[in-house]
Amino acid sequence: MSSTEQGTSSAAPAEPTTAPESAAAPEVPESFYYVHGKDKVVHKVSAGALQHSALIHGMISNLGYTEEQAKANPFPFENIDGDILQMVVDWCNQHKGKPTPPEDTNLPKQKEKLFDLVLAVNYLEIKELLTYCCKQVAMMVKGKSPEEIREIWMIPTDAEDEAAEKEAKKRAGKEAAGETAAAAGDAK
Amino acid sequence: MPFPILRTPFVVLSEIISLLEPNEIVTASCCSKNLKHLLKRHYQQRKPLEWRLTMIYVESRGRVDIVRDGDRKTVMFASPISELNEPMPISKGYVKTFSRGCSVLYFEDRVTGIKMIVDYVTDLLNLDVYTLEIDRLGIWTIGWINEWQKKMLVRLDFHENSDYTWNGDEALDYELRNARTLDLNILDDNMDEKVSDNFRFDGEMGPMRQLWINFSGHWVTLNNLINIDAISIVVRESSLSVPDLYSFVRHWRAGGSPRLKFLRLELNTATNFEQFEDEFEIFERDITGEYHLNRGTYWHFDNGYSIQRNDGVKAVIDFGDENFVVMVCLGEDVYDRDNYLKRDSDQKFLLHRK
Repeated sequence: MSSTEQGTSSAAPAEPTTAPESAAAPEVPESFYYVHGKDKVVHKVSAGALQHSALIHGMISNLGYTEEQAKANPFPFENIDGDILQMVVDWCNQHKGKPTPPEDTNLPKQKEKLFDLVLAVNYLEIKELLTYCCKQVAMMVKGKSPEEIREIWMIPTDAEDEAAEKEAKKRAGKEAAGETAAAAGDAK
Repeated sequence: MPFPILRTPFVVLSEIISLLEPNEIVTASCCSKNLKHLLKRHYQQRKPLEWRLTMIYVESRGRVDIVRDGDRKTVMFASPISELNEPMPISKGYVKTFSRGCSVLYFEDRVTGIKMIVDYVTDLLNLDVYTLEIDRLGIWTIGWINEWQKKMLVRLDFHENSDYTWNGDEALDYELRNARTLDLNILDDNMDEKVSDNFRFDGEMGPMRQLWINFSGHWVTLNNLINIDAISIVVRESSLSVPDLYSFVRHWRAGGSPRLKFLRLELNTATNFEQFEDEFEIFERDITGEYHLNRGTYWHFDNGYSIQRNDGVKAVIDFGDENFVVMVCLGEDVYDRDNYLKRDSDQKFLLHRK
């Protein structure tokens, strides 16, 4: 054995196998924010759960609220029904800090609420939940005929579209005539 | 519970459309002109590049399929009106029904039918026809496609399965002369109906990426083989003799067939390659390795011979009682197993180290 090898092995200090307990980082208390919908009912939601919403996450980052300020100033979402916001909050809580599975069984089952839920989720920019809701909408027409799809997705027939277009044109014509008459009256 | 899809924001509508299967999109497009316009606009903005549109006209039945990641979905059928179960009113020359998850259109004129559904689907999905799948009765579609779309067909599958007593030689001759495609596959579904023993072809084949003659390759002469311009050639039931094969190898060594990377002839004739080592200068013997073919299949060889072209490019030749295979060793990575095993790797050829 060479002298270099001997020197290296004897000089190597023993490395500690575990960190001393006193060096463990203290747990940071979770911060909470508050949101309310059209019904003014305030929901307390953790920052971790709200990370799912790009909109709220952006607001939190920009405002830099303290816990007290957040409590005093709940984020108002007047365009979202209270029960829909409750569904969204529940979903965010259930999926806090974990990725959404491809088939999410925790999604609210009420089909009649799906449209409002989609609008809310799109507004709040919750990408995973939006994708899952859209999957449900796409699944609705699996194996269905054009007539059935028309009913499920509420697609007007060509005749209904034409009638609506005529009606819209008529209305626009009337409005334009009204404006012209009003302008003529003003000029007098 | 209904869902008013047209009242959703644009981004949501786009997301929903992108989650639909190709057959569901085509079916939905039949709901109204307005929805069709929306779907068409979606695919004009986001061309589904990974979708392969296949036009099929076999036994005078037409259909359009979309192949995506190996999954194949029929999106529209064009059937003869005589196959309708019950009489229905004809509008604009066809009757529209829905069955097995997709739209079925019944036409009085079958040719008009297939043309119309191909036109409809390509226009809706912003796609060209990628694969054409036909039999003898569909030979006319080659000329129609060549006229109808600017983009060259990528693949042509020719089935010899027609029940009609048409001249198979004439159909194959027409196909070989007129097919402008990257991959030409001549398939066989009915072993009783083959091109005649006297069939010969004196035209040019290629340029193409792959020529795969899956049946009755007896008509391929040495002259044909020398003149095929393709990267990969597979000929089954070949009647070429051993001297023919030696002539081909000499042609390749002198710089002929420069684009060729893989040639496999399945021989119907007696084979005696005893003179091979006397005919050519051999650089290495008993070479082992494999050549990656389509869809996970590969050609494995244990006793390959290495020969060299005049410009220095090497090839491995593998032969036996039934096969004669030439694999050209291009590039530096012929031993790179990791790269070879990668999905969609450009490296098709792998030599095993001894």
